[in-house]
Amino acid sequence: MKNDLLAGELVHLTAENPEVMAECFSRWNRDTEWLRFLDTDPPRLLSAKKWKEWLEKNLEKDVTDEVFFAIRTLEADTLIGFIGLFDLYQQHGDALVAIALGERKFWGNGYGTDAMRVMLRYAFNELNLRRVGLIVFEYNPRARRSYEKVGFVPEGRIRGAMQREGRRWDWLYMGILREEWLAKGIMTR
Amino acid sequence: MDINILQGALVRLTAEDPETFAKAHSRWDRDSEFKRLLDSEPSSLFSVRQLTEWIQKDMEKDPPPFYLFGIRTLENDQLIGFGGLEGDIFPHGEAFAGIGIGEREVWSKGYGTDAMKVILRYAFQELNLRRVSLDVFEYNPRAIRSYEKAGFVYEGRARGYLYREGQRWDLLFMGILREEWLAKDTG
Repeated sequence: MKNDLLAGELVHLTAENPEVMAECFSRWNRDTEWLRFLDTDPPRLLSAKKWKEWLEKNLEKDVTDEVFFAIRTLEADTLIGFIGLFDLYQQHGDALVAIALGERKFWGNGYGTDAMRVMLRYAFNELNLRRVGLIVFEYNPRARRSYEKVGFVPEGRIRGAMQREGRRWDWLYMGILREEWLAKGIMTR
Repeated sequence: MDINILQGALVRLTAEDPETFAKAHSRWDRDSEFKRLLDSEPSSLFSVRQLTEWIQKDMEKDPPPFYLFGIRTLENDQLIGFGGLEGDIFPHGEAFAGIGIGEREVWSKGYGTDAMKVILRYAFQELNLRRVSLDVFEYNPRAIRSYEKAGFVYEGRARGYLYREGQRWDLLFMGILREEWLAKDTG
């Protein structure tokens, strides 16, 4: 039996105080390439104070359809990003996962893939979900490879869902079923 | 100009007072087959007063979280359902369409398809959108046929997304691009 359910081989998932997360969000958001991978919103810069207020307000809510963790390296305990489950439908056992590494010097080194493996174990072994889905933009092949490595399967393509840099881009939908995750035999202990 | 942008061949899209909408919704919600086709929430019942308050609160938001209309038949002005659009209208020109025909005696008569055509015309000619998306459950072939008739194309499926009646069901994604809609010339 593994003693830390929220630790992988390179990272562990943590809870952070609002002021710590706020400082990171405010800094990461100045990286517009990162924002291009993250979501569909136009870049907007918020001060660390504004982020802190927003996070504190969120803490007061009794949220049941979301799970949010920060990602820290095991090696130096550096806070490098976040991962979360959203749209968690308990009655259907389904959720969407989202992950982002704000510290770009950790890109391409397996930290995200490791964090996703930990999150899937949490989703399937702890929350007993039946499937986990995600959305990735077509211009983010690095993320797509990482998701494929942990077992996500392409499920569809929303053609021209976004308008950026003067053209339309597709969204790719991916998903992993509980049976598929169990069959992979990764981190099931 | 001889065109009513919110009117089709069989139905028109309407603005309804919160109480009117709430009364209809409260009645439709008692039809659990309708609820099964409508969304993934557990079937539950809300009083007319509760529904009225929710609808009022949504209407007060500026901008409104969605473009929501009632659907009435042209023949006798009966309120048969609702439909509309929500989503990333700014800045990506994309929205999500939703429709529900609560009055089951008018199912399969083309009212929903006609309403969807009006919604698409509104989306592409009034809101100037680039695409419209929707999702539909695999156990709702009538809706899938209707969406195909209006011009939607199958784009993918989230396998086993729903857990109902003891088994897993897929969620199907469909979409229509502005160019496809213009080529169909259904407006």
